[in-house]
Amino acid sequence: MKLEGRYDRNKKTLSDEDQLKLSNSCVAIVGCGGLGGYIAEQLARIGVGKLVLYDGDRFEVSNLNRQIMATELNIGQWKVEAAQERLRSVNSEVQVDVVRGWFEEKKAPDRLRDVDLVCDALDSRDSRVMLERVCHQMELPLVYASIAGWFGQLGVSLPGDLSVSRLYGHGEKGVESTWGNPAFTPAVLASLSVAETVKLLVGRTPSLRHAWLQVDLLSMEFERFEIQ
Amino acid sequence: MRVTVKLFATFRDGRFKVEEMELPEGTSVLGVIQPLNIKPEELAICLRNGKDAKEDTVLNDGDTLALFPPVGGG
Repeated sequence: MKLEGRYDRNKKTLSDEDQLKLSNSCVAIVGCGGLGGYIAEQLARIGVGKLVLYDGDRFEVSNLNRQIMATELNIGQWKVEAAQERLRSVNSEVQVDVVRGWFEEKKAPDRLRDVDLVCDALDSRDSRVMLERVCHQMELPLVYASIAGWFGQLGVSLPGDLSVSRLYGHGEKGVESTWGNPAFTPAVLASLSVAETVKLLVGRTPSLRHAWLQVDLLSMEFERFEIQ
Repeated sequence: MRVTVKLFATFRDGRFKVEEMELPEGTSVLGVIQPLNIKPEELAICLRNGKDAKEDTVLNDGDTLALFPPVGGG
């Protein structure tokens, strides 16, 4: 539905030209849980023309504490399909394609053909490293974020950077397995991811290339570290 | 020698945020994390003066060590 004034409050943060660039852009969001749900919601609201959502899970009761697309009424539904329905009611001008399954390296070249940028909203360290490898092979920019408890990390990896593999290539299972993920952490990290995503889509310089932001919502400290 | 140790995220739980430690010459990263009950496999990112370091990296007087646990959720 074309609604007059839908993007009025995007001005003057975004120029008319920026808005047009967003409407001509396609973003793949890999993972549609805590982070991915909020990322999809915001990219649809701000006016990105096409979204491709990946997730192989259905909603469970334990998702209700933080996943914006989860409601009591859609428990058991595929996450990507629930997201597609919600986004249709938020902004029907946005084309939302969904993949009911996990991101697979061998299918990526076909699925990501029309994509301009990828948002990493995965929940395992190995799959993040694989996603970065695929993005670099396809010359696609990647905005990555991860969360655990009160904490999060995010950054931008452009082809050749290998930032994700540097940050997520070592160590055992993430501390989210014991600290969980409360409502506020995915919302914050998703918003930061979307800010970097929008900059890249409209042609501005991202702030977190060759660096990552360490977010601590317990002490309210946001610290930037260079990846040297 | 004196080394500043900074802990991040869940590593601060029951420990500290930043502490200056007096250590014997030749102490490695492992020699710092072991007394803190941080296992090498729990360490996702380790920076010495802002650059990647490993468990066996030997520290120097005046170094700053920053230690991060793996944060992988989505």
